[in-house]
Amino acid sequence: MKRKVIAALMAATMVLGLAACGSSGGDSGDGGSGGSSSGSDGNTIRLVNGKIEIDGTLKKLAEMYKEETGVTVEIESMGGGVDIQGTIKGYYQAGNMPDIFVNALGPEFKNWSGMLVDMSDEKWASDTDNAYVDEEEGTIGYPYTVEGIGLAYNKDIIEKAEIDPATLTDTAKLEEAFKTLDSKKDELGLEAVVGYCAEPTNLYWSTGQHVFANYLDAGLERDDTTYIDLLNDGGKFDEERLTDFAEYVGVLNEYSDPALLVSGTYDQQILNFASGKYAFVTQGSWIGATMTTDDKDAYDAAGNFEVGMIPYAFQDGIDTILTNSPSWWSIYSEGNVDAAKAFLQWMSEDTAQKVLVEEAGFISPFKSCTYVASDPFAQAMVDYISAEKTSSWHWLDMKEGYAMNYTGQVFADYASGALDTEGFIKTIQQVSEACYAN
Amino acid sequence: MAENSNKTKLLSYVLLAAGIAGLAFALVLDFSGSSAGFRGPLLVAGAIVFLVGLYFFPTVEHHRSIINFIFLFPLLFTFAVTVLIPLALGIVYSFTDWNGIRLTGFVGFSNYATMFKDPSFVWSVLLTFLFVIFNMVLINVIGFMLALLCTSKMRGINFFRASYFLPNLIGGIVLGYIWQFVFNNVLIQITSKWGMMNSILANTKTAFAAIVVVYIWQYAGYIMLIYVTGLTTVPKDVLEASQIDGANALTTLFKIKIPMIASTVTICTFLTLTSAFKQFDVNMALTNGTGSVADFMGSYLTNGTQMLALNIYNTAITKNSYALGQAKAVLFFIILASVSIIQVRISNSKEVEL
Repeated sequence: MKRKVIAALMAATMVLGLAACGSSGGDSGDGGSGGSSSGSDGNTIRLVNGKIEIDGTLKKLAEMYKEETGVTVEIESMGGGVDIQGTIKGYYQAGNMPDIFVNALGPEFKNWSGMLVDMSDEKWASDTDNAYVDEEEGTIGYPYTVEGIGLAYNKDIIEKAEIDPATLTDTAKLEEAFKTLDSKKDELGLEAVVGYCAEPTNLYWSTGQHVFANYLDAGLERDDTTYIDLLNDGGKFDEERLTDFAEYVGVLNEYSDPALLVSGTYDQQILNFASGKYAFVTQGSWIGATMTTDDKDAYDAAGNFEVGMIPYAFQDGIDTILTNSPSWWSIYSEGNVDAAKAFLQWMSEDTAQKVLVEEAGFISPFKSCTYVASDPFAQAMVDYISAEKTSSWHWLDMKEGYAMNYTGQVFADYASGALDTEGFIKTIQQVSEACYAN
Repeated sequence: MAENSNKTKLLSYVLLAAGIAGLAFALVLDFSGSSAGFRGPLLVAGAIVFLVGLYFFPTVEHHRSIINFIFLFPLLFTFAVTVLIPLALGIVYSFTDWNGIRLTGFVGFSNYATMFKDPSFVWSVLLTFLFVIFNMVLINVIGFMLALLCTSKMRGINFFRASYFLPNLIGGIVLGYIWQFVFNNVLIQITSKWGMMNSILANTKTAFAAIVVVYIWQYAGYIMLIYVTGLTTVPKDVLEASQIDGANALTTLFKIKIPMIASTVTICTFLTLTSAFKQFDVNMALTNGTGSVADFMGSYLTNGTQMLALNIYNTAITKNSYALGQAKAVLFFIILASVSIIQVRISNSKEVEL
């Protein structure tokens, strides 16, 4: 009798165990079908956003959209070091794809080729220069903001030192100006002339992507792909342009803040610029948001000085800054395509643009938008864009992992003095070849 | 009686057939991409029906093994789904050009050929072995010395034990960032007075030393705790006897304590060995593999402090070569599996001696 009770108990345990497995299996099945059924009923779309800073703004817009049209938009924000493409690949494997998701780099778009919707016929597509257009697949990326790469400067300090930023048109003139500033460091309250960080672990993107972007694009027409094509063809360089660029970076190395040059962080770099301790900083328009939020106290204390941007003029005649959408939203072709298209169109129109520009501080990529953000860099950006003195961001088409695993370290070695200018030129060519070789 | 057994037989066959049909139908639905919500429950129901049919299967000689199988099934199933199938899939993927999204074809051994021709990968492998040797020796020596201190008769010994163990409770990523701050922002204040302007993380050799130090700091407390347990199990009467015979502290340590805890030493050695091989988080947070090597196998390397696990991660994720990363992971698996097999062999032979 006792044995039978034990046997019954064990059998019951086993059935319970199976049932537990079963119910969890059932749940995941439901989850998967829930995802796809919501995809087909046309009332819910899911957006994976890669800019965690604007999560709040997007959720507010989603609510407005729901009130207006009844369509629910679920915002899923990732950022702060999350590997977004890796996560989306996981979603793909699990059959849980979002309807709209973020792509930044050329190779990422290539990975998804055939699965993204061509949006060339949408109204917004003719209203912007910043959409991601693939020759074969059409317009597959919706731009949601514009960011600019240039050498940012503190207008107050430059004016006090009686330097006209418009005259800094080549490396020699820049060095001259840096020298003047360096000699007046104490009276201007400067710690260093320029805040340039070549730290390779956390700031590789600043040097290897944004500063290096100038070698690829500065001074060129938006559709000129000469140097990126050369690079993507097995890691080749134009020797003359690279030499001029290397000399320019050498000047940055020399006049940078030695405390931050090799081991600084983004936070320190921006904080020092916002506090008026640097005349120049090698970061783009996105630091405006940091200066007015995280570093607000320091920026207030430094008198909320005006800022501007000059091109990285490492050769005579370079007069453009680099502007682009830093990443794009794409529609997944198996998802809720029509509702997603309608939502993106709405996002490009007046109501949504007002919120994005005035609350998130975005610079609108759409020509019809008339709002100007209160961001410190907004005016400088708008000036360059309306004068058509902008080049594109072809660094987005570099091989994946190129800056992080290869060139970021070379910039750091150049900054620390382990490489001289010649060594920098030689080494960057060599590691690029190695990178493109496999 | 005969009628009864016939009934059972019929029931058993019907249940078995229904179970298989349910399973097969659910699997077909799943692979054909159907979104029917009932396919999960159907699969489970099919499995249960099949097992019940198996239970009623009219046989005397195999009845016991059938019961064994039924009871083992949930465990075997879970093991297969979470370990065996992924392992097999991983090996298959290493022979393809999979990029995480789609697979266009099999490439044979070319991923393996690429990885051994790549100087940066060879460097990562060598560096990992170097790291393992450093850590195995240093962590055990330091852990053992801490254990000796923490078993001596001193006041507040529990406080010391707890504080040596504490770093182990902090996650590697957090710890890596804390130490990165220490090296880049605090230590540099001191070294810059001596003319060293650059953080020690900026130079490959010192950065590697920094990783070793941080890892010892994290792991020595844990190993210490195991040694403390070992040392407290050394019988008091043996120690007393040696004292009466006039052995000094050093002799007691080398002739009695260490031989008595030989098995603990083996365990700790292998623990440090395998965990150092798998080092990832501190490496990633502290340097993320940066550092330059001027000339290795004829090329300039930019991954001076990148160890094997991090190299695999970077290959798959940041360089988007999932298949190549998978091939590297297979090699990693082979290395770790051989280490574990050796460990098991050695521990088994020790047990026989005891």
